[in-house]
Amino acid sequence: MDTGNAPAPRVGLAVRTRGWFGRAAREPLLQFLAAGIALFIANALIHGPDRRPQGDMVVVQEGRVKQIAQSYLLLAGHLPSKPELQTLVDDYVTEEIAWREAIAMGLDADDTIVRRRMRQKLEFLVEDATASEEPTEADLQALLVGHPDVYRLPERRAIRQVLASSDKRGEKAEADASALLARLKAGADPAKLGDPSMLPAAMPLTTQEGAAALFGDDFAKAVFANKSAGWFGPVASPFGRHLVMVMETEAGRPAALEDVHDRVRSDWIESRRDKARDDFQARMRKRYNVRIDWPEAYKGLPTTPDPSPKTTPLKQDPTGGE
Amino acid sequence: MRISGFSAGARFGACVLASALIAACSQPADAPSKVADTPKPVSQRPPPNPLRNAYFGDLHLHTRNSFDAYIFNVRASPDDAYAYAKGGTIKHASGYDLHLNSGPLDFLAITDHSEYLGVLPAINTPGDPYASVPYAKELFSTDQVAVNKAFRKFADTLDEGKRMADFADLRTVRSAWNDTIDAAKRNYEPGKFTTLVAYEFTSAPDGRNLHRNVIFATDKAPELPYTALESQNPEDLWKWLDQRRAEGIESLVIPHNANGSDGTMYERTMWNGKPVDRAWAELRQRNEPLTEVTQVKGTSETHPLLSPTDELAGFEIMEWYIGQAKKVTKFDGGYVRKALKDGLEIQDRVGVNPYKYGMVGASDSHNGAGSYEEDNYHSKVGIRDGLPELRGSVPPKGETWASYKIPDGIQRFSSWGASGLTGVWAEENTREAIYGALRRKETFATTGPRMRVRFFAGYGLKGAELSSEAGVKAAYANGVPMGGDLVGKPTGAPDFLVMAMRDTHSAPLQRIQIVKGWTDKSGKAFEKVFDVVCADGDKVDLKSQRCPANGATVDVKTCKFSEDKGDNELAGGWSDPDFDPKQNAFYYARVIEDPTCRWSTWDAIRAGVEPSPHLEKTIQERAYTSPIWFVPTKAG
Repeated sequence: MDTGNAPAPRVGLAVRTRGWFGRAAREPLLQFLAAGIALFIANALIHGPDRRPQGDMVVVQEGRVKQIAQSYLLLAGHLPSKPELQTLVDDYVTEEIAWREAIAMGLDADDTIVRRRMRQKLEFLVEDATASEEPTEADLQALLVGHPDVYRLPERRAIRQVLASSDKRGEKAEADASALLARLKAGADPAKLGDPSMLPAAMPLTTQEGAAALFGDDFAKAVFANKSAGWFGPVASPFGRHLVMVMETEAGRPAALEDVHDRVRSDWIESRRDKARDDFQARMRKRYNVRIDWPEAYKGLPTTPDPSPKTTPLKQDPTGGE
Repeated sequence: MRISGFSAGARFGACVLASALIAACSQPADAPSKVADTPKPVSQRPPPNPLRNAYFGDLHLHTRNSFDAYIFNVRASPDDAYAYAKGGTIKHASGYDLHLNSGPLDFLAITDHSEYLGVLPAINTPGDPYASVPYAKELFSTDQVAVNKAFRKFADTLDEGKRMADFADLRTVRSAWNDTIDAAKRNYEPGKFTTLVAYEFTSAPDGRNLHRNVIFATDKAPELPYTALESQNPEDLWKWLDQRRAEGIESLVIPHNANGSDGTMYERTMWNGKPVDRAWAELRQRNEPLTEVTQVKGTSETHPLLSPTDELAGFEIMEWYIGQAKKVTKFDGGYVRKALKDGLEIQDRVGVNPYKYGMVGASDSHNGAGSYEEDNYHSKVGIRDGLPELRGSVPPKGETWASYKIPDGIQRFSSWGASGLTGVWAEENTREAIYGALRRKETFATTGPRMRVRFFAGYGLKGAELSSEAGVKAAYANGVPMGGDLVGKPTGAPDFLVMAMRDTHSAPLQRIQIVKGWTDKSGKAFEKVFDVVCADGDKVDLKSQRCPANGATVDVKTCKFSEDKGDNELAGGWSDPDFDPKQNAFYYARVIEDPTCRWSTWDAIRAGVEPSPHLEKTIQERAYTSPIWFVPTKAG
């Protein structure tokens, strides 16, 4: 990690930083880090050093050997034999030496995979800090109230309908339906009127989307737009003309927490994680001055990127891709 | 080269940070899991309907967790797939939006390939142990030849049934499987949307397709799926599922793409080559109540060579192996109607029918999004067939239909289609009710449109109307619905009732047919197709058993179809003119729509070119009900 001499990526991005040590001392992350260092020293005093590069000495401690044996157990289903363990530990030593040498040569710095992985580790670290947080009911309530449109329960209507089937009546369906409407309004029994159909004569409380799935979009739209009481129509659908009476309307309303508890909870956790990552990135960006030297074809794009890139909160239509 | 003296300190800090992180992570997981065990009932949950509603869903869909989907550049997660099925918009691998025109589905089973489940995303994750496999670079290269070569390593091990040694450690599979289960829990909305925990068992000995989907009754699933890398023999899968059943984990198996099995899906012999025996027939029937009769990779109802007297047999026939441009040579054993007939013959011989299949349809899309609508088609293998030029519906730039020599691989994609869906009759949209309908085979398959069809058989049903609640009640009380066994009476003949309703987003209905299969005294099976209800007030000609042509047409320049021909609803009663109470028989209904444009015609119109002269320009969408089996009484 060399702040003054970062390698320039191929696309011609140059990232310049300045004097971050002074600034860094005030950063919570660095304070956290300092606490970690203290812990580490304490740990090192008690257990002795382990994986730190230290001259030409490679010590493989008992704990590490046990861990190697355990990893093998997970993979192979049994503990390694003595020769197997010897091979594994020897391989570990090779890896340790190669790692030290590679770091010393700076091979980690211009390796895309290593860089990506380190970024990922850092992001996980930040996200994990929020992972164990569990929202209180008040937190959930606040999120719910703050997004009434996201957590709205749609209006539902229960209807009765009488069909003048276009299969049976063809062009006459409209006129026949008007005649049926007059009889219904005069109090005729709807069960004795109209044409038989697989469509329900009575539909329990259903959303507009649910009504559209049965009767088609136009019918659903007309039924949900109707304001009058009693029988109305004719309402057109691909099946013919319908006479409709709205039996019950349940207004759309903001959801109560018990209606959408699980959804709000997972949204809360997700938004928390997004916020932690965004805040962290924004803090980090503050410590750097970024300048992008765009190639000729791209000149005109901002030379300084968005100082606080955001993860979109509460997305309703997640898009494919990562 | 840069020798760093400074970096020791920074490294030191980073290591401490990491160890602090590890310490934090290794805390016992007292944080509650992200997924609640049982979703709370939503107050808007509608009451159950004892006469059952039709619900539509897809029982076969892949996401990025499938090894092949990931190679097709598909990055849609299970959550994305659920979002799409619930009516949302997601991205296709080629960058455009995917959205259902006909509204949300009612249920979905995500069936990722269990073999190498989640492994490809892991290989493409820097730092993952799998990222170091030597062919990682080729797999995600921009050179298609290199990609195919590396990818073939995976496909070959499926043909052989041997797991690649690089992936012997199943931690990645386990983690992806848990994600699959969690996503099903998270997206379940009882009363509104049902999720089913499922996976695909991808067995293809020598490339002959024996793929099957395994669907679990609840969200309690085994720790790991039993895959074709454990055994390619489906008998081993059934036995393994029998064991899980004994432990209280109920499931069912749905084979698919029999059309690509080269005659091996529904054989008369067992894995060891011996003729089917009673125990085997019971094992298969117990585990496999349903079969997928239609999907993007063709329709497997029947083949013109197997059903020469059925004028509508040549529907969306797909004569290629699965995953390779190799032609199928054997159709017997690869189509459902023949299997239903063979099942009767085997039953006459051993006493049990192994091929007592109900019908389901599905997409098998690998896009995380099913492709069911002809006018909204995106096929199923990501960037490989995501654009019209890649699937042979539009010639590439600079070519005409006359000059263009279509490669085999593209011809294969051209033979695919916008299909299919499963309809179920269930009391409500919950996992229990939907799974219950699947188990009792009260299901029908459609080639994409959401047409509804009811089908009953029983004694004394004559005159009952399925268009009324009273009629449906009587049919349930005195008869059996699709998927059931009708136990015969010594005298008299059963009545059949059938009714269908169009999809308002597709064309009117042209007719309803009943397909009958039976065995005679010698134990040989036969089939016959009867038209039973005609649209437009027409009557079936009793000599030919066919409706007169209703004259419905499509303008292939605009895809406008004749709205005045065909009916919105068709209903009728029927009795079998050749009925013999001593014969084993099955009957299923087939509902036929008026013609509409095939997806390839829509593609061509949008591109402003002539539709391909090599492809059908129009299609007659259809629905198939599960059969009703007539069981003669011994005394008869």
